Amino acid sequence: MGEIVRYKRDVWGEEVILGVSWDLLYVVFMAIVILLIAHAIIMAALAKKNLDRPTGDGRRVVRHESIDRLFHWLMAASILVLIFTGVAPILGLRVAWLDIHWISGLLLTFLVVAHIIRASFWQDFKSMLLMPKDFAEPFDSSRKPGKYYFEQKGMHWAVTVVALAVIVTGVLMFMQIDSPFWDRTNSMAEDQLGLVFLLHGLSTLALVALAATHIYFALRPEKIFYTRSMISGWMSEDEMAANHDTSKWSPKEAE
Amino acid sequence: MAYMHIGKDFTPPDVPGKVTGRIKYAEDYTREGMVYARLLTSPIPHARVLDIDASAALAMDGVIGILTADDVYPDGEPQSTGLKILTNEPTLVGEPILALAAVDEKTAESAIAQISVTFERLPFVLDPLDSLQPGGADAYNGGNTFVFRQGFAEEKWTADQVASFRAGNEPTAEPQQTVEYGDLDAAFGESSYVYEGTFTNAGYPHHSMEPRSALAYWEDGKLYLHGGSQSLTAFADGIAGIIGVPKEDLVFVNAATGGGFGQRARAGSVPVYAVPAKLSQKINRPVMMRATREEEFTLGGARQGLTGWIKVGFKPDGVMAACDLWIVSDNGGKGGGADAYSAADCISVLYQADAVRFRGTAIGTNTAHRGAQRGPGQNQIAPIISPILDVAADELGVSRLDIRKINAAMTGDVGGPQRTPFTSAYMPEALEQAATEFDWEGRQSRRRQTNGSKVIGLGIGQGYHNAGRSGMDGIVMMGADGRLKIHNGVGNLGTYSYASTSRAAAEVLQMPWESCDIITGRTDLHLPITSPQDGSNSIFTNTRTCYGAAQDMLTKMKEIAATDLGGDPADYDISNERVHQIADESVGYSYAQVAQRAIELGGKYTGSAELPEELAEWTQIAVSRLEGTGFMGIFHDPRHEGNPPGFTVTACEIELDKETGKIDILEMISIGEAGTIMHPKGMDNQLVGGAVWGIGLSVYERHLYDPQNGLPASTGYWQSKVPTYLDTPLKIETGWVDLPDPENPVGARGIGEPSMGSVSAALTAAITDALDGHIFGASPITADMIINHVAGTSEEAVPLAQNNFRG
Amino acid sequence: MVATSHDVMPDIELYQPADEATALDLASRLGNEGWLLGGGQDTYGWLKDRNKTPAAMIELTQIDAWKGIKEISDGIEIGAVTTLTEIANNPLVQSRYGVLAKAASVVASPQIRNVGTLGGNLNQDARCWYYRRGLDCYRAGGNICYADSPEGLNREHALFGASRCVAVSPSDTAPALVALDATMVVSSSSGERLIPAEDFFVGPDRDILNMTVLNDDEILTAVRIPNTWANAEFYWEKVADRNVWDFALVNIAAVFKVSGGTIEDSRFACGAVECTPRRLEAVESEVRGQQRSEELAVSAGEIATDGARALNYNNFKIPLMQNLVKRAIRG
Repeated sequence: MGEIVRYKRDVWGEEVILGVSWDLLYVVFMAIVILLIAHAIIMAALAKKNLDRPTGDGRRVVRHESIDRLFHWLMAASILVLIFTGVAPILGLRVAWLDIHWISGLLLTFLVVAHIIRASFWQDFKSMLLMPKDFAEPFDSSRKPGKYYFEQKGMHWAVTVVALAVIVTGVLMFMQIDSPFWDRTNSMAEDQLGLVFLLHGLSTLALVALAATHIYFALRPEKIFYTRSMISGWMSEDEMAANHDTSKWSPKEAE
Repeated sequence: MAYMHIGKDFTPPDVPGKVTGRIKYAEDYTREGMVYARLLTSPIPHARVLDIDASAALAMDGVIGILTADDVYPDGEPQSTGLKILTNEPTLVGEPILALAAVDEKTAESAIAQISVTFERLPFVLDPLDSLQPGGADAYNGGNTFVFRQGFAEEKWTADQVASFRAGNEPTAEPQQTVEYGDLDAAFGESSYVYEGTFTNAGYPHHSMEPRSALAYWEDGKLYLHGGSQSLTAFADGIAGIIGVPKEDLVFVNAATGGGFGQRARAGSVPVYAVPAKLSQKINRPVMMRATREEEFTLGGARQGLTGWIKVGFKPDGVMAACDLWIVSDNGGKGGGADAYSAADCISVLYQADAVRFRGTAIGTNTAHRGAQRGPGQNQIAPIISPILDVAADELGVSRLDIRKINAAMTGDVGGPQRTPFTSAYMPEALEQAATEFDWEGRQSRRRQTNGSKVIGLGIGQGYHNAGRSGMDGIVMMGADGRLKIHNGVGNLGTYSYASTSRAAAEVLQMPWESCDIITGRTDLHLPITSPQDGSNSIFTNTRTCYGAAQDMLTKMKEIAATDLGGDPADYDISNERVHQIADESVGYSYAQVAQRAIELGGKYTGSAELPEELAEWTQIAVSRLEGTGFMGIFHDPRHEGNPPGFTVTACEIELDKETGKIDILEMISIGEAGTIMHPKGMDNQLVGGAVWGIGLSVYERHLYDPQNGLPASTGYWQSKVPTYLDTPLKIETGWVDLPDPENPVGARGIGEPSMGSVSAALTAAITDALDGHIFGASPITADMIINHVAGTSEEAVPLAQNNFRG
Repeated sequence: MVATSHDVMPDIELYQPADEATALDLASRLGNEGWLLGGGQDTYGWLKDRNKTPAAMIELTQIDAWKGIKEISDGIEIGAVTTLTEIANNPLVQSRYGVLAKAASVVASPQIRNVGTLGGNLNQDARCWYYRRGLDCYRAGGNICYADSPEGLNREHALFGASRCVAVSPSDTAPALVALDATMVVSSSSGERLIPAEDFFVGPDRDILNMTVLNDDEILTAVRIPNTWANAEFYWEKVADRNVWDFALVNIAAVFKVSGGTIEDSRFACGAVECTPRRLEAVESEVRGQQRSEELAVSAGEIATDGARALNYNNFKIPLMQNLVKRAIRG
């Protein structure tokens, strides 16, 4: 443990930022593990109260269209590949990671851009908007959300911000290496380059934390039907009624 | 003439010390209480020091003190080109900013790392043509060039002018300097073969084996300075001024020097010796400053890189009618020399062209400082002009030997833009001797013979440097023991010239060498002023002074003998260490006796009266301290007339492998034309040493700076590609013409520099020969260039770029 | 620390183990703070210039078990701290594995070969001048390459396998050992592993900080050369700027099994064109079963440089590498 930022000497001996200290990777990982375990224990302790879970049987409604699911899983896959290939050399694994990393990065960039365009023009953009009144939702059990509840929206926007940060910095870094599209130029000053590396590293750390949290909640028994819906597309009316306000979200019936 | 010493081999007195390792270089000395200095040098090619925070370093145990530019220049740094002792305005990476003294080097080095220097980064440039571009960076604060008596100035061309030059065309910009003679247009009009093209010469470092380390301490108001130099008294004379110590209070100790090739001849090239002197003065402790190899790279500097355009016209019979030369010189970060002019001068001298025009512009870059290096200018142009001569010879149907003979300089000719007559010149004889000993004609059947991928190339080339000065002083002394003490301030840079020149004095007095002592190595032994030991001048210049001083002693001997023993001085002669009557050899004095009589007589015989007018201040100090201590011969040398040339001719046969670009020099012979040969072994050393340098210039040595950040890439022996033992022929044959020069009392002229140029001329001619007349127009011609040429691979290097591959 | 040559040895612990166990224990205990010292020819420059700052050196040259050349059941074994001079002059190596004797005989200079070891020659670090100057480039753990850029001085750099870093394998013995299909014996306090020579070296795509797969606690203790290529015809050539004390611009090691003028099998490896010795498998298959001829040499030469990507100043390495392959095939 030690510093957050790593420094180096630039070509003329002046100290500049090199990037994030990868000690933080272990810190973040441990912190998330501890938090999630703590959450799991608390949830287990409270488990009796929540025995009456909605059933997945009965009539089904469409939660996620197939195209959205495809987007989600491609993004998930690319993010996981990016995290693995980015972290592997830090962990000392000798794998040829860089090409896979930037190809995945390009895929993620494409997906994110496409998703932004789709969400802005063809999807129900408002369903994901976090409005001021949404912030009361976690504290008022009588309030039910529309399609996405508060934490889901929060997770989405947190991932959005972090993913955009990682993408923007990643693209800048990509421009500093040789690729099939260009030869590298060394055009960025070393202090700026260090800042980009730092932001990429910090957003990576955040992404690791968010990904771990997201996966954890996706696997929680009381949320697993959401994961199922992301795989199969549907949720039961019972699940919908128990968790959502149908006046705010009225999905069509699933086939 | 039958000489007793001249033309004979002998063992110079420092040889045993060098063989056994007992001889001391500056780093070998210690002094009680000595501390160690290390330099903090600029990491940035062009910057301004805004702040130095040395508090952490000075708080460390064992750290004694620091010295900064503010200490050495309390009234501000000199605003001119030229090396500074320390600077707050570095214009190249590695320029010394400050020095720190500590109890040992490790502590000093660790303390240096604790010093925080805040720099303002300034725009930098590494190629003169980049600086000439509109908007191009200027290497200096105030411009990219320095105009004598005017100061810094900015010189810019139009973008089209730069691009056109890079594309291989004659520069159209206004040059800073133009020198010409003859009718150029008419001469080109008479030409039936004209070559025109651009060229580059890499300006590579000196890389002396011994770095610029120095020890300094103050005792009883005197400064004792130990350092390596090419010269001794001439150097001391200059460094006293740089340090600011009266000449009479400086003792410069320099028994041996590990190599000096131009940039150690004059104190202005080594102001860093003032660092231990000033630091010692400040902290009142003896200070040893050991320079690293990389520091030596920077402090030692480099020759000027030349970027040029040349046009040469030949008449049908092979006579060089005209040469038009336009050169942009790379002056580095601290200013440079006059290599470009010397290149033109060399062409004029060697090839006796009817008309020559030189146009030149010198531009600074943020690279190592530039200055004289073995044959500055003459040796850069040698590998450029020689292949042109060969292609012209082939085009005109003249033999490659004949084209050189036709144009050769002879006694009675003049040379250079000043049209200076030679004191004597025997180039045709040198060419003939080289051709005969090399069997040049016989070998022509082997020319361009192939064996698999290998092809034979033959080359012959010439070298020239002006080789003699005058106007210096000589002192010889004799005590009652009758031994001759030759006070020689020449300096010992490894050529043994200090000993060779001393033998002129022994010759005059017919003194057995065993009865002579050379007094040299430190200035408190009272040495006369000499010319700086550069420009191949020592043999010519200092045989004149040694000869003159001994002649003065001889005259005085005869006077004393005639006065004491009767007769006229003209009735006396010398033999067997006696001065005696010619008619009756039994009437005379032994040298011991005449010396004793001289001491008794005093006055002019012991340096107390009738001294020559015009003795240099340095010599006057020496004489004043020697006065009355012995029998003195003293001489001030008047000026000579004409240009005493040093000439060499080299012939070589190479095998060039077209698949690997490698060159194997199968045989090489160098012939010197340097008047009477003083010391055959020394002459041989000069020719062979020059050959190794010529090989380095032609095909190996480079000067690289990273274009992105101005960092030097060739700071050590590996990256700078100094040739190694197996890169040179096993045996380099040597010979000499050995005809006397009338302007020197023993007929001698110098040879140091041309011995390199002729090798470079011959070797590049042989490469051109092996490649069917392809002219690279570059030095060095490296393996990659040959491979690319043979394979037809294009190079991506920026044309005519300096401090890069190909220049 | 400013990137420059400081030329003063810092204080450093020196361990001089006399037996294997102590050495392996030290390597394990000191990890990346323990610098393995053979002949010191790649070490002292780094340390004196203070561009590498390990806490300790573990000198391996006093361990007799890791010295010398001996016959084993399948070929020979050369201890890693055997000097290059000894390898070059060893009759066994000369007679059976001439390609290695030849390679060892042209490393650096006689003085360096007299103290330089096989292990040191194989494990030496990249010679890229930017890296050696102490700049914080990718290979030094930084985030930039100064050599691979529009103006970088990269005449001596890589044609193949560049991944951010474009440094090349500087070793002369490495291509010879790859050609001979040697095996590296790598020991640590937890045991021994045998690594084919070809897999011992690692490119920047997989590990940009190291030139070999040696872990911090491991020591290369020996090299085993199998009988497979003993007494085979071979070709070795090193082209460097200088004939002494220089690194290859390109070197080549090739071994052949030839019968009646037909190349039955061969192995080719080139140094100084990639971060690892480059095995030329395409050339090997091109020449397999073929008669030696100029046509074959030319076609194999061209195949050898397929995929080469020249930088600013190393175009010449493409024809040079082709020429060396041609010469190897001509024999």
